[in-house]
Amino acid sequence: MFGGLHSPRALPEAGALVAVARAFTPRVEARAPTPVLLDLTGLGRLFATPHELGRALIAAAAARQVDAQAALAFTREAALVVARACPGLTVVPAGGEAAALAPLPLALLDLEPEQQELFARWGLRTIGELASLPPSALAARLGLAAARLVHRARGEDAGVLVATPPPERFETTLELDWPVSGLEPLAFLLSRLLEPLTGALAARGAKAASLAYELGLADATIHARTLRPAMPSGDARTWRTLVLLDLEARRPKDEIVRITLRAEPTPARAAQFSLLDPALPSPEKLAETLARLDAWTAAGRSGSPRLVDTHRPGAFAVASFAPGPLPRGRRDASPRGPRVALRAYRPPRLAQVIVRAGVPGFVAAPGVRGTVTAAAGPWRASGDWWDRAYSREEWDVALVPGGAFRVFLDRLRGQWFVEGELD
Amino acid sequence: MSAAPLPAALPWTAPPDVDLAPAAPCESPGAVVPTDAVTPPSVAERKRVLENLLRARKLQADEPPLRVEDYRQRALATGVPELDTLLAGGFPRGELSEIHGPASSGRTGVLLALLARTTAAGALAALVDPLDRLDPASAAAAGIDLERLLWLRGPRVSGEEPQAKTLAEATKAVATLVGAGLFDVVALDLAGAGREPQRLPFATWQRLERLVEHTKSGLVLLAESHVACSPGGRALALEPAGLRFSGPPGPACLLQSLAARARAGGHRLREAELTLAAV
Repeated sequence: MFGGLHSPRALPEAGALVAVARAFTPRVEARAPTPVLLDLTGLGRLFATPHELGRALIAAAAARQVDAQAALAFTREAALVVARACPGLTVVPAGGEAAALAPLPLALLDLEPEQQELFARWGLRTIGELASLPPSALAARLGLAAARLVHRARGEDAGVLVATPPPERFETTLELDWPVSGLEPLAFLLSRLLEPLTGALAARGAKAASLAYELGLADATIHARTLRPAMPSGDARTWRTLVLLDLEARRPKDEIVRITLRAEPTPARAAQFSLLDPALPSPEKLAETLARLDAWTAAGRSGSPRLVDTHRPGAFAVASFAPGPLPRGRRDASPRGPRVALRAYRPPRLAQVIVRAGVPGFVAAPGVRGTVTAAAGPWRASGDWWDRAYSREEWDVALVPGGAFRVFLDRLRGQWFVEGELD
Repeated sequence: MSAAPLPAALPWTAPPDVDLAPAAPCESPGAVVPTDAVTPPSVAERKRVLENLLRARKLQADEPPLRVEDYRQRALATGVPELDTLLAGGFPRGELSEIHGPASSGRTGVLLALLARTTAAGALAALVDPLDRLDPASAAAAGIDLERLLWLRGPRVSGEEPQAKTLAEATKAVATLVGAGLFDVVALDLAGAGREPQRLPFATWQRLERLVEHTKSGLVLLAESHVACSPGGRALALEPAGLRFSGPPGPACLLQSLAARARAGGHRLREAELTLAAV
């Protein structure tokens, strides 16, 4: 026998109805949050009648603040459709599926919009009217899917129940008999916890995208951190190193009495290596290296530079360093030859500039001083008036003691700055 | 409602009048395709093609090394013919090399060319920049694949010269990057740091030399004057040789190029003229 559970109202939490069903049977098929299909085979030993079982289902749902309606039938289709249509408890007798479904509206079969429109034009309103059509004739006109629809309307099952696996939590906790203070003994304990955890992940073809660790301290506080490397990893040694490096940078305030590790699973992806391209670094090694540069990464001072879509001078972004495979054809790009580069001063250095005949003649700024021997400019730029407006006149100047610099006049403030050295 | 007749069985096999020969290419409609054109190549043929491909690739010095190849045999070319000749192929792997020169001598342009060449080949590069001088727009214009460049930026310093602590942190980061063995080029930009690099203990550079030995990485220092170079490394000294503008001073005048003289070698100095185009 099968059971259908449905809640016409919003659920207090997404998995509430599934949790109710799992209290009765492990074979549960969740169709979105609601309805839920239960395989009730074998429960006849615990409940004398189907009505008793149905009432128990509704009572269990009510205990979880779920206003549920239930249907028990000998086919899955009938149990699901009747549960959605009829309030309270409905028990469909064996062989009475078609009769139970017949008066119900056709929309309960979750038809495609085109099918719904077509059946409305044919004058079909109830499931019983659809069930009375010959399946072969309907298949000839609308295809095999329509024939299957007739069987569903008659309360007949096709296929098998696909049980929804219960959500897995990759979490492990170790209560310590004696408090641990140093990182060295902690390393052994972490290995002991991480190896089964990563093993469980690997058994499900998954890796950990992040690892949250909580250390219960002797002073009853909790030291909690979440590590999220650029790439998922399923290697216990890597995670142990990352946790230890993180703890080195942020030491717990007191001795550790409890360790809890929680991994966030993500499907492991196998990468196809290329024979002719250089090997990409292993994600584990890259994550370890970046963790060792914690002083730079924690302050947001490491990553890949990125250009941003703006004309504002000196604008750029820094993204996390996660190199991907080399795109096809990239290596065919011809070399560009050496270019003059700007060595940017951040922030630009305030300068005193003597202008002669509209051209900078002398520049003095911290670390930069000299008479201008040649100048190229002015190049005017302005923009971002809606945000942080800028308007400037830019010059490339060569100075007598040596060096070429980019200077600019901030037209909004009326001040000169040295933006950087041309090198 | 009457049932419509079911369709006939689907034609799983082509009828005898259908030609199953492959269609002619789109470029030449109606062309007759010879029967041997569709014959798959034999195993021996495939093997020969693959071996040719591998052999050809091995002879291209600018391509990244193959997985099984000895990395240390391949110098890190800058992609600038004059410099690569001067450096006997490029900066060697497993050695500490340096590029030094005064302001506007083209040292940053040369370093960016090296990083561009390295990243364009698919390898990774790291730049430790304690003074935060890198301009990402210049790096992109030089052809660097920014996704493959790890940039470690120093903190903002109020004075002209960085604190000794910043440089010590930078050398520590270089040691981490070299030890990781992930990067083909690890560069440390010390240009503009004044005399601070010379004040660092000499053991710092010896330690870095030892770390980079027997790795695939080439460690390159960028400085104003000579700081350190391992015995097998290359020291490239650059001197400014003038700027070229597009015309007389005026609104249409552009900075066209920067000329530099490059010298390399120990007791036998070699020189080359170098021109860096303005962006």
